[in-house]
Amino acid sequence: MASRPMNDDEVLSEMSKMVAFIKQEAMEKAREIRVKADEEFAIEKAKLVKQEQQAIDAQYEKKRKGAETSQKITQSTLTNKARLKLLHRREEHLQDLFSTARASLADLASEEGRYTQFLQGVIVQGLLQILEPNVTVFARAKDVEVVRSAADAAAQQYNDISGRDVKVDVEGTLSDEGPGGVKMTSGTQRITLDNTLDERLRLLEERMLPEIRQELFGLNPNRRFYT
Amino acid sequence: MAAQQSQGIQTLLEAEKEAAKTVQQARQYRVQRLKDARTEATKEIEEYKKAKEAEFKDFEASHAGVIQSTQSSVDGETEVKLQEITDHYNSNKEKVVKKLLDRVVLVQPELHRNLKKFGQ
Repeated sequence: MASRPMNDDEVLSEMSKMVAFIKQEAMEKAREIRVKADEEFAIEKAKLVKQEQQAIDAQYEKKRKGAETSQKITQSTLTNKARLKLLHRREEHLQDLFSTARASLADLASEEGRYTQFLQGVIVQGLLQILEPNVTVFARAKDVEVVRSAADAAAQQYNDISGRDVKVDVEGTLSDEGPGGVKMTSGTQRITLDNTLDERLRLLEERMLPEIRQELFGLNPNRRFYT
Repeated sequence: MAAQQSQGIQTLLEAEKEAAKTVQQARQYRVQRLKDARTEATKEIEEYKKAKEAEFKDFEASHAGVIQSTQSSVDGETEVKLQEITDHYNSNKEKVVKKLLDRVVLVQPELHRNLKKFGQ
């Protein structure tokens, strides 16, 4: 440094140097701050956006899955409804079949020869199931005559088959509106047997279902086993 | 001389004040930048959300379309099958009714297999 005090010019130049220095330092510091601020800005923004994006993605993924599930449900409900429609139609046809058959039942009783033979057979069948010494046969009022003679023949046939004897009583108390056939009871009225045409048809309806299905609607393509 | 000195100090003080102001402005800029980050992020997020929403709506619309077309095709198939059933039934009905009626009168009386004929 000068060994003598500075003159005015020197003072001025020193002053402006110092001022410039202060200014320079401030500018640099300010610039540093600004640069860092921009960096932080970018980082912060990216962080916030990414965070929210992930949350939104998860949300929409869930929504999407829900929509897919409900779509599958609707699909399966559709198929199910369709299947039910088919089954319903088959059921309708089946009912139609049975009522047609039932309507024609009454005609069976009108063919004399066949009906008598049927009555005899049916009474024998009943006797063989009841296996009692005394049996009462109930028939329609209009069938009493035929049933009486059928019962006699039946008792004979019963003896031929089983070697047993039986006493048969015939009563004409069955409703005339029925299609025909007989009901039987043991002598003590403890055992009853229904061999009317109506009942027989009903039993057939149940037991013949597999056969009926096959003839009316064809084989089931999904079935794998037939005994 | 004293007056000169105090003037010099004054100048320096003012320079310091200016410097402090500059730095202060930079700091305020930083604060503002942080706020900006927040608002801009929110804006971007909103846009992203809108895009995703639109995407989802499209997906839903196409899904509804698929259901519609499946429905009508299933209905069509079902109609055909229903008709098949009825036709098949009608062609076989007579035969089966006759079968039923024949079996109603078919009787085969048999002695129970566990029993033996009396006298033998």
